[in-house]
Amino acid sequence: MALKTTGARSWIYLPLAILLTVSLFPFLWMATSSFKPLRQLYAVPPSWLPDPATFANFEKVIFNSNIPRYFLNSTIISLGSTALALCFAIFAAYGFARFRFRGKILAQSFVLIGQMLPTATIIVPLYFVLSYFGLINTYLGLILVYLILTLPLSVWMLTSYFKGIPRELEEAAIIDGASRLTILFRINLPLIIPGIVAVVLYSFVATWNEFVFALSFATDRSMKTLPIGLAEFSSEFDTDWGAVMAASFIMTLPIAIIFLALQRLFVGGVMSGATKG
Amino acid sequence: MARPLAPAAGNLADESRPARRAFRIGAGPLFILPTMALLAILILYPVVSTVILSFTDAAGRYVGGDNYAAAFRSSSTIRVIFNTIYYVAGSVILQLVIGVAAGILLNQKFRGRAMVRSLMLIPWVIPGIVAAMTWAWMFHTDYGIVNYALVSLGIIDQPVGWLTNPSTVMPALIAVNAWKMFPFVAVMVLAGLQSVPEELYEAARVDGAQFRHEVWHIMLPQLRPVLVAITLLLVIWGLDGITIIYSMTGGGPAGRSMIFPIQIYAMAFEFFEFNRAAALSVVYFLLIVGLIALYLRAFAPQEND
Repeated sequence: MALKTTGARSWIYLPLAILLTVSLFPFLWMATSSFKPLRQLYAVPPSWLPDPATFANFEKVIFNSNIPRYFLNSTIISLGSTALALCFAIFAAYGFARFRFRGKILAQSFVLIGQMLPTATIIVPLYFVLSYFGLINTYLGLILVYLILTLPLSVWMLTSYFKGIPRELEEAAIIDGASRLTILFRINLPLIIPGIVAVVLYSFVATWNEFVFALSFATDRSMKTLPIGLAEFSSEFDTDWGAVMAASFIMTLPIAIIFLALQRLFVGGVMSGATKG
Repeated sequence: MARPLAPAAGNLADESRPARRAFRIGAGPLFILPTMALLAILILYPVVSTVILSFTDAAGRYVGGDNYAAAFRSSSTIRVIFNTIYYVAGSVILQLVIGVAAGILLNQKFRGRAMVRSLMLIPWVIPGIVAAMTWAWMFHTDYGIVNYALVSLGIIDQPVGWLTNPSTVMPALIAVNAWKMFPFVAVMVLAGLQSVPEELYEAARVDGAQFRHEVWHIMLPQLRPVLVAITLLLVIWGLDGITIIYSMTGGGPAGRSMIFPIQIYAMAFEFFEFNRAAALSVVYFLLIVGLIALYLRAFAPQEND
């Protein structure tokens, strides 16, 4: 993509340096802190680089805390909800993109509102529903509840991808007598694989970071997700900041790698449909 | 939104075969039905149920507006409303100002631009809880790098308890939230600037325009539709933001950083006042709808031209 710009300027390097410092410093500080031995973390004046670098903080997090379990819980729940949302969203998005029917605008508005609704407003009744079905502190409970985040998002994004496929491709298949489902799976799906990848990544990140639902519906130590575990980690360890930074580092790695490797895809996706923060 | 169907497309082979037409009409709703049913259970039912709960007591008896009255009698609710608006307004304004500046900056030509654009995304990319934990460590009163830097530079005389001092806690949290989200604004601004016709800049330069004139008279007006759209998103995300505040201060000190989502959570799962929590949810929801309506009324008409 060729980018238009407005000419080179020399004053630009000062604001650029400030921008880079502000963007990067906290991340770098977290990374270096996670490798620092205890006495260096609590040293005044602070030392910039760990000397010597130590893995003690990581060892503590991996072998001496519940963080690995939380990591597993988060992975299962995020993958489960992402996959489930995708199964439903493919059909719904195809329906929205290809058909005209009564109430379509209403249904689409409902999906959009669902995406915008602040999650904290519905935690009380959701808690009752989950209790009724015995789903508090279960993977299935959070997977289902996370559909509130992932499903509207997936439907919305996939609809725009389906709309980008020329209708003529389907017409030939219709004449040949192919069923709607055949057309969807044989003709459309292969063409929107980039869209599906984007949706999967978005849903995964959204659920990986989710806080309110996890806080309310997964209270058992064995069922908590990473964000909650990390938030409570500080008090659990009497705020061992080296360990907290190491755990933060571990939690960031998968997300950071996904984002940097697929940056273009992500940025493109943001422009085609907004996501829940 | 409804895509106008080309007359030929979609009607293929339908005219002479009524059975086929019936299939065509029925298929759309069939495709969306499972999703809509799920969303009805997961979103519509809880919303309706919240309203009902807010008018009943723990035993399910109708109590009129008692839960609301209790909510508004408590001084904490008023402070929560104030804090929420303060937090969201402060965050969104900062996010927009920094984000627009960064977007314009990254639209200039310079060496390593692609690299800088990627690196700038880091705050937005890292999980919210990680940002919160990192900043909590940086804001640490005794060993935090923020206090060290500010004291060394002579900006403050002695360390400040950023997250424990009632007068600094909200600005500190707003700064973290702004830091987290400004790259999103910058990315959208960058995208918006791509569609500004080069002729506008050329014409301005012929007239002797400086860079600041270009920013003020070309870029910002051209970015207006983008900014209107993302402001709404930023407001909604800000209102939904619980991660940063809950994990950094838990709403403290003494409720000074308590915002609606945390108050609802605490009311329900710490005090087990489910009906009052439901009433708070409804108030919160109405506040949001009101803000969005005001916003759309102020900005939507200009979007049509």
